[in-house]
Amino acid sequence: MSQVLQVRDLSSGYGRVTILRDINFQIEEDEVVAVIGSNGAGKTTLLKTISKIISPFAGEIIFEGQDITKFPPHLISQAGIAHVPEGGKLFSNMTVYENLLMGTYRNRKKINLKILEEIYEIFPILKEREKQLAKTLSGGERQMLSIGRSLASQPRFLMLDEPSQGLAPKLVDNIYQKLSILKKKGLTMLLIEQNIIYALKFAERAYVLENGKIVMQGRSKELLNSEHIKKHYLGI
Amino acid sequence: METIIQGVFNGALMGCTYALIALGLSLIFGVMNVVNFAHGDFVMLSMYFTFWAGSIWGVDAALTPLITFPLLFSFGIIVYYGLINRTLREHYTIQIAVTVGLMTFLRAITQLVWHAQPRALPYSFIQGNIHLGGYVIALSRLTSATISLIIIAGISFFLSKTWPGRTIRATSDDLDAASLMGVDFQKTYALAFGLGSSLTAIAGSLLMTFQQVDPTMGLRFGLLSWCILALAGLGSIPGLLISGLIVGVGESLAMTFWDPRARSLVIYLIFILVLWLRPRGIFGRK
Repeated sequence: MSQVLQVRDLSSGYGRVTILRDINFQIEEDEVVAVIGSNGAGKTTLLKTISKIISPFAGEIIFEGQDITKFPPHLISQAGIAHVPEGGKLFSNMTVYENLLMGTYRNRKKINLKILEEIYEIFPILKEREKQLAKTLSGGERQMLSIGRSLASQPRFLMLDEPSQGLAPKLVDNIYQKLSILKKKGLTMLLIEQNIIYALKFAERAYVLENGKIVMQGRSKELLNSEHIKKHYLGI
Repeated sequence: METIIQGVFNGALMGCTYALIALGLSLIFGVMNVVNFAHGDFVMLSMYFTFWAGSIWGVDAALTPLITFPLLFSFGIIVYYGLINRTLREHYTIQIAVTVGLMTFLRAITQLVWHAQPRALPYSFIQGNIHLGGYVIALSRLTSATISLIIIAGISFFLSKTWPGRTIRATSDDLDAASLMGVDFQKTYALAFGLGSSLTAIAGSLLMTFQQVDPTMGLRFGLLSWCILALAGLGSIPGLLISGLIVGVGESLAMTFWDPRARSLVIYLIFILVLWLRPRGIFGRK
C-alpha cells in the first residue's frame, strides 16, 4: 500500500494568526480518513493549506511521493487532488452542466464526456437540473453538484469539507450513501466533519483536532468507544 | 420629426461602437474587479496608431483593426503583468493610483508625440452615404456599427462556448473555486485584460474612418464606457448593447436639440442618474 498523502510538521494560519501547529498525519491508498473536531479547531484551514488556497507557515506536504508544499493552487488540482470546499463554492452564474464541465478543466485537452455520464449516474438530480443556473439549486443539490464537479476531474485523492453542513438528516444520509459508492470504487478520501457519528461511521481511521493540534488518532471504532470522545463530542 | 429620427439613427450607430468599448471595460472590471481609469485612453491610443498607419504608410483606416488589435492585445498583456498583477492583493487605492498614473502617462505621451490639435485621416475607401427612406446614413458609420456588432456577437460566443471564455467566466464567478479546478488565474486575468484592451483597439480604428482624434478623447471615451457599464450592470452582453444604444441616442439627440457642446454633459447626467437610482444597473446581477 503506497502512501498517498503525508503531512509533516505543518503550521498554517491567516496573516499573523496561527491556526494549525505541528500537524503530522498520513493517508494510505484506498483509505478513507476523517479529521474531526469542533468549530474553530482548524479543520477547514487544514484542507485549504493542502489545496494551497492558503500557504503554510512551516512544514511539508507530500503527495504520492512529490513535495507539493510550494505548489500554487492550480497545480495541486492538476496533480490529482480534488477539494470539495465548505459550502460548495459553485460557479453560481453558470449552469449545472457548465459547473461539471469546469470540473474537467485539468483534462480538457483530452476531454472524455463519459465522465459526466458517470457523475449523472451517481447524482441523477443533476441531470434533471442540467441547464439550470447553479444559484437556483437547493442546498442538497448544491452539495451534490460540488462533489460531482470535483469528481469530474477524475482525482486520485478527494478532500471533502463538511459535506453535511446545513443539510437536513435525510439529505445527509443521501450524500453519504453516494460517498459510499465512491468508497467502494476505491477512491482515497479525506473527510472533514463536525458530525462525529457520520464521520466515524464512514471513515476507517480518524484524527481529532483541537485548537489547531492533533490530540488523538486511531481506528474509528476505538475512537467511538473512547472516554474523551464520548464525553466531549457525544455528550455521553 | 425627421430630425429626431435622423438623430436616433446616428446615435444608434454610434451606440454600437460605444457598446464595444464598454464591453472591453466589462471584461476587465467584471472579471478581476479592477477599475481601469486608462480604458478610454486605450481607445485614444488606438486612434492615434490608426492615424499613423494611415498617414505614414497609407493604410486605409478601415483595415487598421488588423494592426491595432494585436498591438493593443499585447499592450494589455504587458500592462497586466507589469502593473495590474502586482497590485491585485494591495489596497484598492494602490490599484486606482496605478491606473490613473497610466492614464496620465498616456495622455502626456499623446500630447508629446501628436500635439494638441486634432488629427484626422483622409476618407477611407468606405465613403459616401446611403439613403434610406429620406434619411441619410454615412457608410463609414454603418460599417463601424456593423463590425462592432459582429465583434460583440463573437465575444459572446467566445465566452459561452470556448474553453478560454468559459474559464474567464468561472474565474470571475469564484476565484478560489476556479483555482481548485486547476485554473491559473493570472493567465486568465491577463487574457481578459488583453482582450478587453484589444476591443478598444478595434473601436478606435473604426472611429477613425469618420472621426478625428485629439488628446481629450481619452477622457471622453473613459466617461462613456463607465457610464454605459453603470447603466448596463455586469453580466449581460445584450444589456450592454442596449445601454450603448441608449447612451448613443441620448448623446446624439442632446447634440441636435440642445447644444453640440452638451454631448459630455448629457453623458454625465445619465451616469449620475443611474448611480443614484439603480446602482447595479438595469440588467446587472451583481
